[in-house]
Amino acid sequence: MTDDELKHVAASQGLLRLAERHMAQLAAGARANARLVEQLPKDLHWSEESALVFRLPIPEERRR
Amino acid sequence: MSEFAYMGLVEAGERIRARRISSVELTSALLARIESLQPRFHAFIKVVPDEALASARKADAEIARGIWKGPLHGVPYALKDIIDFAGVPTTCHSKILTDNIATAHAGVTERLEAAGGVFLGKLATHEFAIGGPSFDLPWPPAVNPWGGAHFPGGSSSGSGVALAAGLVPAALGTDTGGSVRNPASMCAIVGMKPTYGLVSRRGVFPLSYSLDHVGPMTRTVRDNAALLKILAGYDPLDPGSADIAVPDYSSGLGRGVAGLRVGLVRHFYDKDDRAHPEQIAAIDAAADILKRLGADVREISLAPAQDYATCCRIIIRAEAYAIHRKWLRERPEDYGDICRSRMLDGATVSAADYIDALRLRARLTASTLAAFETIDVALTSSSLDPPCRLDDVEAVQRAYPRQSRQPFNVTGQPALAMPAGFTKDGLPLSLQIVGKPFDEAMVYRVAAAYEQATGWTSRRPPGI
Repeated sequence: MTDDELKHVAASQGLLRLAERHMAQLAAGARANARLVEQLPKDLHWSEESALVFRLPIPEERRR
Repeated sequence: MSEFAYMGLVEAGERIRARRISSVELTSALLARIESLQPRFHAFIKVVPDEALASARKADAEIARGIWKGPLHGVPYALKDIIDFAGVPTTCHSKILTDNIATAHAGVTERLEAAGGVFLGKLATHEFAIGGPSFDLPWPPAVNPWGGAHFPGGSSSGSGVALAAGLVPAALGTDTGGSVRNPASMCAIVGMKPTYGLVSRRGVFPLSYSLDHVGPMTRTVRDNAALLKILAGYDPLDPGSADIAVPDYSSGLGRGVAGLRVGLVRHFYDKDDRAHPEQIAAIDAAADILKRLGADVREISLAPAQDYATCCRIIIRAEAYAIHRKWLRERPEDYGDICRSRMLDGATVSAADYIDALRLRARLTASTLAAFETIDVALTSSSLDPPCRLDDVEAVQRAYPRQSRQPFNVTGQPALAMPAGFTKDGLPLSLQIVGKPFDEAMVYRVAAAYEQATGWTSRRPPGI
C-alpha cells in the first residue's frame, strides 16, 4: 500500500487525527494484514457458511 | 509470611464456615500483603480496603447466624479491570477510561457477590486486554513474582501475578486469544478458559465479541473447579450465553485417568513451531505421567497451529477495530503505543476477509471436533517458551505469538493451562488440557490427576 493509498484509507475511516508515527503503525498493520489474508484458504465454497450466524431467540413454548 | 497468603479458596471457605478463621482476619491479612507487595509487582489497579472489610464483617455475621452461601462465602477475590463492579472504575488499564465508573455489576460479579465473595479490587491488564506490557500507561505493567523481573503473561497479567504472589485466592481473567491461559502459564497457576457461552460476558469490556471468554484463575485445580461452578450459568442478557445445565465440576476430581483417552497434539509444539527444549520435555513428561496413571495416550493431529492463528487474528482485528474506531478517530494519542498499533491493525481488514475468517472458523471447528470424537481430552502446549524479562521488549514481542491457545478460542472448547514444572533457572513451564464443548468436568478430572501426581501447583515463588 502506497503512502497515498494509506492516507486515503485513513481519511475514508475518519482517522483524521493520526500523527505521523500513528500512520506508520497503520502502515505496519496493513502489511501484516496482507500477510494474514494471504494465508486464508482459497478453496472456501459458497456453501460454507460463517460461524456464529444470526440466530433469533426461540419462544419458550416452542423449545424442545 | 502470613499463613493466609497461599490459603486456597476451598480451604479458606471451609475454615471460615467452621469459624476456625474469620473472613475479617483473612481479608485483613491479604490487604496488608497487597500493601506491602504492590510496589514490587503492580498486580492491582485499585484496592478497596474499606469495602472489602465491610463485606468480610457481613460474611462473618451471616455465618455466625447460620447462613452459608457456599464455598466462596467470606473468601476474597479480585477482578481483571475490564470487568465491572458497580461504583468502582473499570479503566481497562487505559487513559481512555480512567474515569469510567461502572454503574452496575457484570454478570459474573453478580454471581460472585451472591456467593458471598469479598471483593478486594481491580487487577492490572494489558490495555483493553490487548496492548501490553506497556510502560506508557497511567499504571505500570504487572511483574511476575517468578524471577522477580519477568513477563507475567497477559492480558490477565494482574490476575496471574496476584495469585502467584499470594495476594488473593481467586481471580477472574478474560481470554480472547489466550489471555487467561498465558498468565496461568507464566505464573505457575491454574487458568481455565471455559466453553464459549458457559460464563456470562455481560458487563465485561469487549475485545472481540465472538472470541471473548471470562475464566476462573486460581492456584489449584480444585479451587478452579469450585470457582467455575459459581460463575457458570445462563445469562439472557449475554447474546452468546448458552442455556445449559451446570454440573458439579468437582465431582470427578480424584477419580483418576485410568482408561481415559488422551490425544497428544505434539505438532503444535514440535513441528508447527518449535518450543523451548525444556518446555517440550515437560509436556512429553506429562504425557508419560498420564500413561503411567492408566490413560491411553495417543498422538493426534489437528489443523496446523498457523491456520487457527490466522483465523483468530483476523477476527480479533476486525471486531476490536469496530469497538475502538470512535476513540481512534477522536483521541488516538490517548492509547498506549502497543494498544494503538494493535487496534489500527483492524483498519485495513476488509469485510470479505473478516467473513472468510469466520467461514474458516466453522471449518476449523468442525475438523477439530471430529478429531475429539475419538478422545476424552487433548494434551498440548500452552506457551512455547518460559517467561522472558519484562523489560526485554523484543523478547516479549517474539514470545507473544508463540503459543497454542488460539485454536481453542477459535473452536470455543474448554481449555485449561497449568504448571508443568520449572526450568533449570526456576521459571514456570506449562501445559494445556483441552476438552469437548461443555465438558469442563473431564478437563478438571485429568488436570487434578496430573496435579496430584506432580505437585507443581504447590510450589511458591522464592523470596516473597
